[in-house]
Amino acid sequence: MARKRSPARLVIALSIAAVLAVFLLYTSIAGGGTPSLRPSQLAGRTGTVSLVGRVVGKPTGDSHAGGLRFRLRDVKDPGGKTVPVVYTGDVPDLFATGRDIVIDGKLQRGTFVAAPGSMVTKCPSKYSATKPAAQ
Amino acid sequence: MAELGRAALVVTLGLCLYAVVAGSYAAARRRRRLAGSARNALIAAFGSTLVAAGVLAAGFLRSDFSLTYVANHSNRTLGGVYKLSAFWGGQEGSLLLWLLILTGYAALAVWVNRNRARDLVVWVTPVLAGIAVCFSFLLVVVASPFAVQAAPLDGAGLNPSLQNPYMMAHPPFLYLGYVGLAVPFAFAMGALLSGRTDERWIVATRRWTLIAWTALGIGQLLGAHWAYVEVGWGGYYAWDPVENAALMPFLAATAFLHSVMIQEKRGMLKVWNVVLVALAFCLSIFGTFLTRSGVVNSIHSFSESDIGPWFLALIVIAVVFSTTLIIWRLPLLRSTTRLESLVSREAVFLYNNLLLVALCLTILWGVAWPILSEAVRGTSVVVGRPYYDFFLRIFGLPLLLLMGIGPLIAWRRASLRGLGRTFTGPAIVAVVTGIVLLLLGAGSSIPGLIAYTFSAFVLAAIALEFVRGTRARRALSSESWPGAFFSLIGRNRRRYGGYVVHVAIVLLAIGIAGSNSYDSVVEGKLAVGQSLALSGYRVTYQGLTERDTPHAAEVRAHLLVSRNGKSLGTMEAGKNSYKIAGPDPQVSSEVGIRTNYLTGEDLFVIPEQINDDGSVYFRIFVKPLVNLIWLAGIVFLLGSVIALWPDAREQRRLAVRYDEAGSPVRGR
Repeated sequence: MARKRSPARLVIALSIAAVLAVFLLYTSIAGGGTPSLRPSQLAGRTGTVSLVGRVVGKPTGDSHAGGLRFRLRDVKDPGGKTVPVVYTGDVPDLFATGRDIVIDGKLQRGTFVAAPGSMVTKCPSKYSATKPAAQ
Repeated sequence: MAELGRAALVVTLGLCLYAVVAGSYAAARRRRRLAGSARNALIAAFGSTLVAAGVLAAGFLRSDFSLTYVANHSNRTLGGVYKLSAFWGGQEGSLLLWLLILTGYAALAVWVNRNRARDLVVWVTPVLAGIAVCFSFLLVVVASPFAVQAAPLDGAGLNPSLQNPYMMAHPPFLYLGYVGLAVPFAFAMGALLSGRTDERWIVATRRWTLIAWTALGIGQLLGAHWAYVEVGWGGYYAWDPVENAALMPFLAATAFLHSVMIQEKRGMLKVWNVVLVALAFCLSIFGTFLTRSGVVNSIHSFSESDIGPWFLALIVIAVVFSTTLIIWRLPLLRSTTRLESLVSREAVFLYNNLLLVALCLTILWGVAWPILSEAVRGTSVVVGRPYYDFFLRIFGLPLLLLMGIGPLIAWRRASLRGLGRTFTGPAIVAVVTGIVLLLLGAGSSIPGLIAYTFSAFVLAAIALEFVRGTRARRALSSESWPGAFFSLIGRNRRRYGGYVVHVAIVLLAIGIAGSNSYDSVVEGKLAVGQSLALSGYRVTYQGLTERDTPHAAEVRAHLLVSRNGKSLGTMEAGKNSYKIAGPDPQVSSEVGIRTNYLTGEDLFVIPEQINDDGSVYFRIFVKPLVNLIWLAGIVFLLGSVIALWPDAREQRRLAVRYDEAGSPVRGR
């Protein structure tokens, strides 16, 4: 007599299929995420990206009136190309020259126009092998 | 002193190496005395690690800046208690804490089980020692906390944001959780290596798993509360890879805690259980790898360090080792019974497991996708909050519902009539709650409304279980209602402790839904005398004061708060500018929080920008029910303690089961 298969297998198989279906649905509707780029990779990009870089020079302006302006360069390339950024919205406490930040936005006429409130500075938590770099 | 610390770590490495080699040989060749010697070496490794930890702690307390690690994470003005928390404020110290907890757990686990599960423990010893070898090797060779230098006059100090009571407790709790998962993993591997794949490894490790799981849960809530009160962005969880690193093993361990009950009760899911425990352990190592490798972009400043590849190697070893063992022992892991119906308690546990694992793996995918994307396409991709929120709703809401169904449904096979009788009450409560909330305007967020409705269902189901149990107890023993209630819990600690934990999860769900789906926000620049209003509150800015302390220059904005015209008094929010070494003073926002303890709501004020002219740019939130999240932590701990509390009756029951399970195995 053939051995009857356990319904648990059916449940697991159907669940995996359901998860895959949900996943495909999500990725088809909501997309697969925002590209994360360094300032040196930004040239020619038109869509929304997440920019990771280090703040160089003295920031000017007001993030709640006209925008905060500063420049970003690649974290690992001290002499590398910089990108001008204009940002509005909440500025994290840790934002300062020499700090690493992540910011979303689009390159428009050579300036990275950040999405309001999208700036994230690196949290000062542990395990950093080196001290925060200062310019 | 540094030499003593280094020597102690070398001794730990030597002892653990001996425990691996001698322990494996003894287990394979059934050399009992040698196995005892390996076990003792593992216990002694805890002693030597304790010496190393003591040396480092003394270095902090004495402000011995000749130790580079101490100089980098402490200074003379640091408060005494934070000098100790600076111990784990950096990579080397936190690795030492890992090793200390690991060897402590390992010593206790092998000692407690030395007579009860000898055939298992002989294999558990080398597995645990093998994990300890990896960490002690890193501490001796790659990241020593005892590197020395010419002592500077003062140290760099601990980051001000970390000088917070929650941040003192958060890392040790997380480590207690992460590292604690090594014990059930080692017992599972020990069971596979010894061929004793019965329930004994589960019985032996149930409490260990529960302790690790509780610590991981509490650790995450402490971290969330720290982020809420200290980081000053108005949230408590950002789906950051580093936060996800702790959530993933917690979800896998939650699934494991549920599925072991199926193995204990019905002899099913044996393969699934060893897979889950291996997954939970590997994810805990993966979490440590993520936090230290710099491989993903995170809001946490975990710089790229040399230690990442070592952890990657450990993950590969753990995955290959456990997968090979599971495949090798598949013939011994066959279920002794079968799932009889898709409508039964064990089936609900299975659905619960699948949802938990699906949620865990989708989070893993979200964390790993940027790495894979960069490797395959050359461009890293950020997986943001919408992705995680989507899957939390898709998998989390059904999980919430199952929490109400599971405890009430019958084992083996549930009849339709029985289901109707059991679920009518909770279903009516849920529907009525949903309708009332809809009428009150909760329909503005459909996921929020569903979460509340399901929460009402679960709470009603749990209340029903307590009422039924108390009534039955009272009928049996003629006790008073309170007496019967407490006696019911006392006699079934595991079961009713579990229900209390379920209540905590419901509170968590209500708090998350309330604070995320129904919060409101207003922002604006205020001059003295101007106000902002939202959700019935009016916040009037009254002016600034400045204060100079030894640690920081503090600026505070004073605010007058009223609600619906009635004064609620004053509150303050501001910024601290810390006096630390370096070109830039470190500034932190000190948010203002006014809690309504009756409704669980917070008025949350962030002073985003304090201007030279005395005006302040404020962002103000009203976060309904957010305090239920923190209350959930207390209830969660209470439930876990109830489930963990020693129970002589259960011990006797388990001892019988243990002996039964320990009968000779059928073939190898």
